[in-house]
Amino acid sequence: MPEIVLENLVKEYSGGIRASDELSLTIHDGEYLCLLGPTGAGKTTALRMICGLTAPDSGRVLFDGQDLAGIPISERRATMLSQSYALFPNMDVYHNVVFSPVIKRWSEEDTKQLARSMIDMVHMGKKVKNYPRELSGGQQQRTALARAMASDSKVLLLDEPLRALDARLRIELRKELKSMVKEMGLTSVHVTHDQDEAMEVADRIAIIRHGRIIQVGTPKEIFQNPATPFVANFLGRSNIFAGKFVGNDAGHSVIELRDGIRVKARPADLEPGQEAVVAVKVGSTVPELVGGVKDVQDSHLPDTLPDGYFTGNVERVLYEGSTITIETNVKGLGIVSAQRSSRRFEYYKPGSRVIVTWQPAKASVFPMPESGLAQEMRLD
Amino acid sequence: MSLVAAFNRLSDNAGVRKAWLGLVCAIFVCIIIVPSVFVVTKVFTDWDLVSGVLGDSAKMRVIGGAVWNSFSIAFIVTIVDVLVGLPIAWILVRKSFRGKRALDTLLDMPLAFPTAVLGLSVVMFWGAPEGVTIPGLGLHLSPYVMIILLHFIFTYPYMVRSLSAILEQIEPNYETAAMTLGASRLTAVRTITLPLFRAGLVTGITLCFARSLSETGGTYIALTLMGSQSSFFTGPTYIAENGGSVLSGEMIVISVIMILLALFLLVAVKGIIGHFHINATKVWPQVGRKLSRGAAPKAKDGLALAFMVLIILLPSFYIFTYLSEPASVDTSALLGSIGISFLVAGVAVVFDIVFGIPLALYIARHHGSKPAAVLDELVNIPLIIPTTALGLSLALFWGGANSTGAVAVVLVILGHISFTYPLVVRNITGAVEEVDPAMEETAQTLGAKPLQAFTKILFPIIKPSVIAGAILAFTRSLGETGATVAISGAVNTVPVYIVNLVKSGQKLADPSYYAQAAMCSIVLIAICFVLMFAVRIIMHRGEDHA
Amino acid sequence: MRFGDFYAVHDISLTVAEGEYVTILGPSGCGKTTLIKLISGIWHPTEGRVLVDGNDVTDVPLEDRDIGYVFQNIALFPNLDNLENVEYGPRVRAQPLTDQQTTAEEYLTLVSMLDRAGMFPSELSGGEQQKVAIARALASGSKTLMLDEPLSALDARVRMELRYEIRRIVKELGITVLHVTHDQEEAMSVSDRIVLMRAGAIHDTGNPMEMYRDPQSIFAAFFIGETNLLEGYVSGYTKNGRTKVRLRTGYTVRGEKTAFALGDAVIISVRPENVYTADDGLRAKVVSVVFMGTYWRVRTLADTGDYVEYNVSDNHVPPAPGEPVMLVFNKRMTKIFGRPKEGLEGAISLE
Repeated sequence: MPEIVLENLVKEYSGGIRASDELSLTIHDGEYLCLLGPTGAGKTTALRMICGLTAPDSGRVLFDGQDLAGIPISERRATMLSQSYALFPNMDVYHNVVFSPVIKRWSEEDTKQLARSMIDMVHMGKKVKNYPRELSGGQQQRTALARAMASDSKVLLLDEPLRALDARLRIELRKELKSMVKEMGLTSVHVTHDQDEAMEVADRIAIIRHGRIIQVGTPKEIFQNPATPFVANFLGRSNIFAGKFVGNDAGHSVIELRDGIRVKARPADLEPGQEAVVAVKVGSTVPELVGGVKDVQDSHLPDTLPDGYFTGNVERVLYEGSTITIETNVKGLGIVSAQRSSRRFEYYKPGSRVIVTWQPAKASVFPMPESGLAQEMRLD
Repeated sequence: MSLVAAFNRLSDNAGVRKAWLGLVCAIFVCIIIVPSVFVVTKVFTDWDLVSGVLGDSAKMRVIGGAVWNSFSIAFIVTIVDVLVGLPIAWILVRKSFRGKRALDTLLDMPLAFPTAVLGLSVVMFWGAPEGVTIPGLGLHLSPYVMIILLHFIFTYPYMVRSLSAILEQIEPNYETAAMTLGASRLTAVRTITLPLFRAGLVTGITLCFARSLSETGGTYIALTLMGSQSSFFTGPTYIAENGGSVLSGEMIVISVIMILLALFLLVAVKGIIGHFHINATKVWPQVGRKLSRGAAPKAKDGLALAFMVLIILLPSFYIFTYLSEPASVDTSALLGSIGISFLVAGVAVVFDIVFGIPLALYIARHHGSKPAAVLDELVNIPLIIPTTALGLSLALFWGGANSTGAVAVVLVILGHISFTYPLVVRNITGAVEEVDPAMEETAQTLGAKPLQAFTKILFPIIKPSVIAGAILAFTRSLGETGATVAISGAVNTVPVYIVNLVKSGQKLADPSYYAQAAMCSIVLIAICFVLMFAVRIIMHRGEDHA
Repeated sequence: MRFGDFYAVHDISLTVAEGEYVTILGPSGCGKTTLIKLISGIWHPTEGRVLVDGNDVTDVPLEDRDIGYVFQNIALFPNLDNLENVEYGPRVRAQPLTDQQTTAEEYLTLVSMLDRAGMFPSELSGGEQQKVAIARALASGSKTLMLDEPLSALDARVRMELRYEIRRIVKELGITVLHVTHDQEEAMSVSDRIVLMRAGAIHDTGNPMEMYRDPQSIFAAFFIGETNLLEGYVSGYTKNGRTKVRLRTGYTVRGEKTAFALGDAVIISVRPENVYTADDGLRAKVVSVVFMGTYWRVRTLADTGDYVEYNVSDNHVPPAPGEPVMLVFNKRMTKIFGRPKEGLEGAISLE
């Protein structure tokens, strides 16, 4: 199963839209990589260039070091599973699944064997004679997957494979999807806009935006060490604050937000006075009740936290099931969100005064982006 | 390597694919486009002939009159078609009721009737032509009115189908959204749906107009039965009556005028409707509500349906009353002409499919690119040009004026190819556009070569549309009179045979000829019915699979 | 509401209070969209009545009902720009021209889209389009708003932000909202009350916390939030009256107080955050470990043959795949349901 290298791919459409803007990425042999980004980021274009449906304007696609330019689509052995599944309506499930072996003229015995094992793996054994229009969304998706895996391809490209399904079904199927694909050992690239999905299925995630890769890493790496404010808020919600870098101190940095509000964050390599952005995940932001009993912290927080940075009034508490989100209105900063275990639901009442704090090691600092904070933080 | 595998391998090569497409385009341009407009060049090469006619005021008056008749009739017919066709299109697309399938079928019936036959039937129904023994309504109508009534019949289905096609594509939620905001249905349609309608309107108007301009056989027969074939002319009947493909100045002048005017109008219609902006700022909520509910919409639908039955269906079927007085038929002559008609139509349609599919695929898959847009427009040209003028031009191009025998048949086939090709291409283009491109793309990533992706995936899916398009083209060719006559008077397709029977009947004042013509017509209709029926069955079976 | 032989909704009775934000939640095909189309007047019920403020509006035509509607596929008029779209409601009610524009601008400001007033819908992103659609629905002055899966077509991240904004706006204006969705996370975070629908009927209803902590059925427990489901038999009671359930391997868990009799076939439901590891408990083998942000989600295969998932917070080291663990459940948060006759799979099937 090949290592895939995308080298400085450029693809421009009429109107000057750059779907790929010097896009470079390495996908390891046998890896399950998620290409995560907002709609319009260029994810589908990248997939299409890997399998050959779209030719790049410049740049190369390499499988195990071999340049694929000039190799026709049918010989790349990189199969695409599209959002609409594209099951052939003129064939039943069985014939859809065996399409590839039949086209490649395998022996009938080998074909039957492969088909049977794939169909069983996706639990579609009872529906082999049905036609695509008779299947539910989840069944169609599984059939498309079986067809892709029965194609003896080395690379599997999944273009938002779960998008067309209900939320609850998505959660169920993504677990199955990952285990089935891993069993086959293919190198897989899974495109999605859904960060929960990416976190669950990916060995590594590549964040893509405006046609370029912004960061690559394991879900944990990206979540805990985002490379830009956008990534900080895209993979996991973050509170974003703009301010001026003051300086580094014992093991942390200090940033002044406004009116004398100073917060602590990770040590950073910035100039004093430089415009900076602080990002803290909502799960690491802790609002403590002013004058309340010292609360038992959630298990992922240490027992002692630094003294709070600023105060505000609880505006709203949103119940989310296993978690709650506390929205605090802080004068001059707007709404600051914090996520905690829902066991604390009764603890916060709208109107209560809280003081907000966090561990410096959990807060990231970035230089102010050139395009401005509003443009940086756009989600679409 | 087997032949099939070799072709498959070739299809992988982008250069080969481009070359094949280039070849098809070249054939299209050289065989269809250029001959169709060739006659325009004659204005320059045979200027003395042309100027002679242009200077002759008497001739010009006749020619001008013919052109005026053609265009004004087409205009009136098209406008009325829009008004009465829209409610029917609406019912077909938006409403569901028992008998909808029947309405759908009835709508296509007029297309199955060769227009020559319709000419006979319509005059019988409305008027009382001398020598026709079956009684009709017995109204004494002027030729102008009679022709209009005739032209309604075969243009109406084109309009309704075009309007339905666009209506189907317009998201019905827009109207619903407008109504949730407080607009009555009438206001919602007027302010939101109709402006989105333009594309369908342009198509419908273009097809209707062109069809009316082209029609020869029915108009000619109707005029003959009324005895006015030498005094009242439309463009096509002028050409048909005055010498077919004899290269005279009159022929050149009238053909060129008709071609240029038709092309000009094609552009004008697109431009006008494209920029036409119905001022929709004024709203009358109460009036809108009154007109949207209760009696008003029912009356509108009722009138539209009445029009359809009274003006379209009854006159068309009237010819079957001749069955009450069966006349003897010269079977060998009839069979001979059926044979020729089938030969011409068959070869034309096969050519259309083989060379139409590549072009249609290109246009559909490269929607929006400049070359595809240009090709799309070019494909429309043979559709717009009146077929009689087209036939004349083609005969001139190949140098086969007044030809006979095999040469004549070949030229007639080429002529029929010209006006059926656009029908087939449009049909296939429409079908391919409906198919998710991901189908073929996925097939390729699964290892299928481009040709395999086409034969195993795309073609089976669009097959019903291809067959339907082929049958429609076949029927169209069966019914065509003008082009055949313009190319050569010696090729006796069935419509030409019928026209000749009527001509003889009138000249000899012998009504038995009319009866013969009627019987032949009925035979021809029966054949076309069977074919249209087959189309419906194939299409519905195809739909069940999709 | 009958379509031929098919009852899209069957015998539904629902009451919504003024100013309430009610979410109708359920899998595709459960009838939720049919329901709001009946209420708003887009469809007419085959049986039954719709009352608004005590008035029977069942036969009142759609254009007179004064209920705002936002569509899943947005349905902004493509031939009008954003301002004209929002003006449409006031315009078709023949309001004076200047009022039309002022009203439209007011609502566009409310959804923060005023700077795009002159652009056309096709020039906006999905989230922006939906905001304009909401402004348009509200600009006609309706006090009731139907949201038909308004966020389903949008990116996950955009959804998260937009749902809070919608709630903020409607609460500010005091609008009564009926929001249809299949996304339970969305329902939980914005609703005053959730109505859970399944196969054309109302399955359960309550506020988010009630639905999450105290589901009344296996389907409700499964559909809202995540949960582990295990089969067993009632084997006894504790001193405090808690029900004891014996799982397949013989391992016994304690759960809530119930009225089940000894030997009854039951299903226990316990959410991942209420499962812990201990020195002794239900034996299981770790299948996968996934990082989810502030915690790791550990998926295990228990000896009973059931998959059980639990969380480990991110500053601890989670077990590796293949490792054996012992699981215990928080007995206060372990719910017990009777085993349904269609079997567990049938009870939770989503399609």
